[in-house]
Amino acid sequence: MGRYARKKQHKGDKPMKKKTKTKRKTKDLDQIHADLIPEMSSKLLNQEVDFDKPGAAQHYCLHCAKYFINEDAMKTHFKSKPHKRRIKDLQIEPYTLEEAERAAGMGSYVQPNYVPISTQTLKTSMDEDGD
Amino acid sequence: MRLEKCYFCSSTVYPGHGIQFVRNDCKIFRFCRSKCHKAFQKKKNPRKTRWTKAFRKAAGKELTVDPSLEFEKRRNVPIKYNRELWQTTVKAMKRIEEIRVKRQNQFIRNRLRKGKELRKEADVKEVEKNIHLIKSPAAKAKRLEKKMMQVVKEEDIDMDEEA
Repeated sequence: MGRYARKKQHKGDKPMKKKTKTKRKTKDLDQIHADLIPEMSSKLLNQEVDFDKPGAAQHYCLHCAKYFINEDAMKTHFKSKPHKRRIKDLQIEPYTLEEAERAAGMGSYVQPNYVPISTQTLKTSMDEDGD
Repeated sequence: MRLEKCYFCSSTVYPGHGIQFVRNDCKIFRFCRSKCHKAFQKKKNPRKTRWTKAFRKAAGKELTVDPSLEFEKRRNVPIKYNRELWQTTVKAMKRIEEIRVKRQNQFIRNRLRKGKELRKEADVKEVEKNIHLIKSPAAKAKRLEKKMMQVVKEEDIDMDEEA
């Protein structure tokens, strides 16, 4: 006679568990700051066609590190709350280990700088400007 | 062996404690306990999380700029053991800590003084506003009337004497 399958009593916070897995890790704010350097950003904005990525990697939001299927989707994303929130978060210099150490008593406090950041211009509008 | 600082809450990470996360760009993040690790995973901002040292410093809750904070440093040059140097260093560490704690406490006391003043001001205002609950305005009017009556009587007596 086999044993009864044990019923799961508690599943915990499943969506949060899923989101916070290393496998699903998204870019941190300091990585995005590194992406905003012109050399990196031009590479990310002009990617080769890759059919494994959404929209063949042709519509990429730099600040949210996200691919979109077409330009309309990207336009609506630029108007959305999450994007605006992200822009605001990026406008302050990213937190670093050095700051953590300074806060721990290894040096005096240094106020983080303000970095002016605005939403990227769309590719088509850029072309129009060029013409 | 090194005592590292937690990336999130800035507390000391002792050997055998906490967890270390190495991001795919080789950056190392050390955490003192699972609380800090989880907060990092949830992408919480240490500057906005009220229980971290980074918040307390950014919000001006603690002593932020002071020469006593400049001694502790990450020194990557090994020093040969020297008994005398060791002794003086330990002595200096204790003294510096003493001074730092003293200044820190003074800073907090100064910070809390403002609240005390404001509370006193608010109390005075409240009493002025609700004075009618302590002293009845009707009682005051009655007292005035009594006084007036007395004055009138005295005047009457004076008039009688003159007559």
